Amino acid sequence: MVEERFENEKLGEEFEPLIVAYCCNWCSYAGADLAGTSRFEYPTNIRIVRIMCTGRVDPTLVLEALRMGADGVLIAGCHPGDCHYQKGNFMMEKRFDYLKEALKNAGIEPKRVRLEWVSASEGGKWAALIREMTEEIKQLGPNPLRRTKAPKRTDATISAFKSQRLRWVVGRSQIKVEIEEEKYRQTVDLIMQDEIERHMITGALKEKGSLTAEELAQMTGLQPSKIVQHLIALRRDGKISEAGEKNNQYLYQLA
Amino acid sequence: MMKQEPRIGVFVCSCGTNIGGVVNVPEVAEYARKIAHVMHAEHNLYMCSEAGLTTIKESIREHNLNRVVVASCTPRTHEPLFRAACKEAGLNPYLFEMANIREHDSWVHPHEPEKATQKAKDIVRMAVAKAILLEPQNEPEVEVKGSSLVIGAGVAGMTAALSMANQGFKVHLIEKEKELGGMAQKLYKLYPTLANASEVVEPLIDDVKSHRNIELATSTTLKEASGYIGNFNAILTGPEGDSELIVGTIIVAPGSSNYTPPKGLYEYGLNDNVITQKELDEKLRKGEIGEPEQIVMIQCVGARKGEIRPTELEAFPKSDTAELLRKILKARKEEGWPYCSRICCMNAIKNAILIKEKSPKTDVVVLFGDLRVYKEYEDFYRKARDLEVRFIRHIEEVRPGISQTPEGKLQVMVYDALSGMEVTFPADWVVLSTPLIPSKDEIMLARMLKIPIATDGFLMEAHLKLRPVDTNVDGVFIAGTVSGPKDISESIISGEAAAARASILMGNRKVKTDAITAVVDEELCIGCGLCEEICPYGAPKIEEGKSKVREILCRGCGSCAAECPKRAITMRHYSDGQILTQVKALLTSEGSKEVGQ
Repeated sequence: MVEERFENEKLGEEFEPLIVAYCCNWCSYAGADLAGTSRFEYPTNIRIVRIMCTGRVDPTLVLEALRMGADGVLIAGCHPGDCHYQKGNFMMEKRFDYLKEALKNAGIEPKRVRLEWVSASEGGKWAALIREMTEEIKQLGPNPLRRTKAPKRTDATISAFKSQRLRWVVGRSQIKVEIEEEKYRQTVDLIMQDEIERHMITGALKEKGSLTAEELAQMTGLQPSKIVQHLIALRRDGKISEAGEKNNQYLYQLA
Repeated sequence: MMKQEPRIGVFVCSCGTNIGGVVNVPEVAEYARKIAHVMHAEHNLYMCSEAGLTTIKESIREHNLNRVVVASCTPRTHEPLFRAACKEAGLNPYLFEMANIREHDSWVHPHEPEKATQKAKDIVRMAVAKAILLEPQNEPEVEVKGSSLVIGAGVAGMTAALSMANQGFKVHLIEKEKELGGMAQKLYKLYPTLANASEVVEPLIDDVKSHRNIELATSTTLKEASGYIGNFNAILTGPEGDSELIVGTIIVAPGSSNYTPPKGLYEYGLNDNVITQKELDEKLRKGEIGEPEQIVMIQCVGARKGEIRPTELEAFPKSDTAELLRKILKARKEEGWPYCSRICCMNAIKNAILIKEKSPKTDVVVLFGDLRVYKEYEDFYRKARDLEVRFIRHIEEVRPGISQTPEGKLQVMVYDALSGMEVTFPADWVVLSTPLIPSKDEIMLARMLKIPIATDGFLMEAHLKLRPVDTNVDGVFIAGTVSGPKDISESIISGEAAAARASILMGNRKVKTDAITAVVDEELCIGCGLCEEICPYGAPKIEEGKSKVREILCRGCGSCAAECPKRAITMRHYSDGQILTQVKALLTSEGSKEVGQ
């Protein structure tokens, strides 16, 4: 069924994107309902997943949807100040900055993901938004990840967003941080970069069993000096261990 | 508990021709039948009809179904109905899932039947995928104390207090002013009866003061509130210091304020003969208007100014509701308010009639962009016309101008939309009709009680149409103008409504709350306390190094689950797995492998 649809693309039929929309129950889901009640027409390319609040949207939910081949992901919630839960949409907005950074890292065009505010009374806005987004994604073409067998960088990005270290610093940004906001952001971006690279390394080790630093550099495309830095950190955290030697180099494996 | 093999029933609704006129409903049902775990699929003209519901109940028994999917309209209106049917057939209501193929499909794709049918199949497949992972949930039950705290003794608050007190519930009514009666107490005559406001307000005050079930405290405000539905803990502060109460429900009725134009707007504050409609009311009561030659009223002063989204406000705060309202108030002071205040047209007509009846020679001119006189007020407007009150329509965007003649008399220039000419009216008095606006008391109350504030600055209803006096905080209700401009009769209606809603809870003595709450996996939890810090409701608390979620306080937004560093928090009914399985069913062959054949 799904395969069939993707097959059609190869046959040169017009590309019909599939867009996943995470809609909050109180505003945007209701806004989409109102578009229906008002009979505002829009393209058939959107599939809505109902959630209670955009505050619920863990970045991994977006990254996983893209990893599975969604051509676009829309996160739609209440206008600032209208949140049913007071500040869920603000939390999403904050997180969205990091999510965009993550998309760049994962090799996905940031334009494929949008965060929009649609109230329960904005059926017209909803219809216009879907028209616009569908058109934009059509211009971008199919999600490149669909044709990539194993998008290692994307997988590592998803793993990074499941890691305690990255989640902790992203989560802390929701509450008052003692340092300048921009500085904090930069730090989080650095940690994100780190975590993605480390998960690329552990991903490679998981796949191959044991590898040397040189082999890891080849597999991941990272600088050997970076690899060594990460290996030291991963060993210190007890994530990997040494597994003998190969060509006078240490072999590493998952702990 | 042993995991049961999912046995799913799918019921596809035609909704007359609403769905069936676009989507090939039999084909969707046929398709659903082939999805793995679907034991039974059928279509019906109206699933929500008595016959449709009976079909669902019978099928549950006949096919031993343990999950139900109805593909029809929006769950926002019909989910409770179908859940109830499942429950009647002995199925936990949380084992029900809805596929919205009307609002999100047939109604928006009427000219693309094939694509709409394809989309309906996708939506059904996604719903089945979620259904497979659904788990039964129990709604926690709490005791509800048979007492209520009513904040604000205006017309709405007093009405609500009396209604509950008459039903035998203990009511604590607090008022920040020394006197009861709120804004209505300061009014002169009411439209459309032209009765004295005191005729409505005084009896209410007398009843409230003498009711044995009402404990009244004036010059008293709410200082702190905690607890939850059925058991709110309120600390009041008054002339005799602080006191503490435990009540089952709370009704918030602090009223609103009247917009005061900034100094200089239409010469307001510079010329003593430029006054607001409220000030005119006071002058009429005192007989200070006399028999002037000409009075000009200007409508919508500070109202209907085009919406400013708070995002556009400078240095918009990140999360603080109170801070948000403060910013809104500040910006509005200069810019005016976006909404129609609803009462000003009738209020202007009323005062025009009062003046005309007393002094028929006075020329009363009402300048308006739009005149909104709904229901019986049309007759009231006609009465003013019969008394020769002149109504001049200007274009909304071209506001009237004001100046002074060399003799120092006020004059108002207006572009008359009907004649297409600029007209000048000399005026002894210029009266500005200004809107009702959110009061500052609302800031504190919203913060203490955790009620969201809408972008117009008023407290937000749980649902604009379906739950107009409920708030998102269970057990807390709103009455009167705190949720938007209302006249006296509407305030009374909302007071009665809020009292009725609160009484249902107090009368039942018990209430079930939503099962969609956060659950912490204590094995994974490291007790970092992030959830405790970000939760707007104070639901999670770190105890002995682990986060414990007090279900009754949790509203189910899921922000904690999205941020938990250890991913130790699961949202009931909206887990990562339950969300992603829908995406998987939509997009991947692995996900759609569930589709048999």
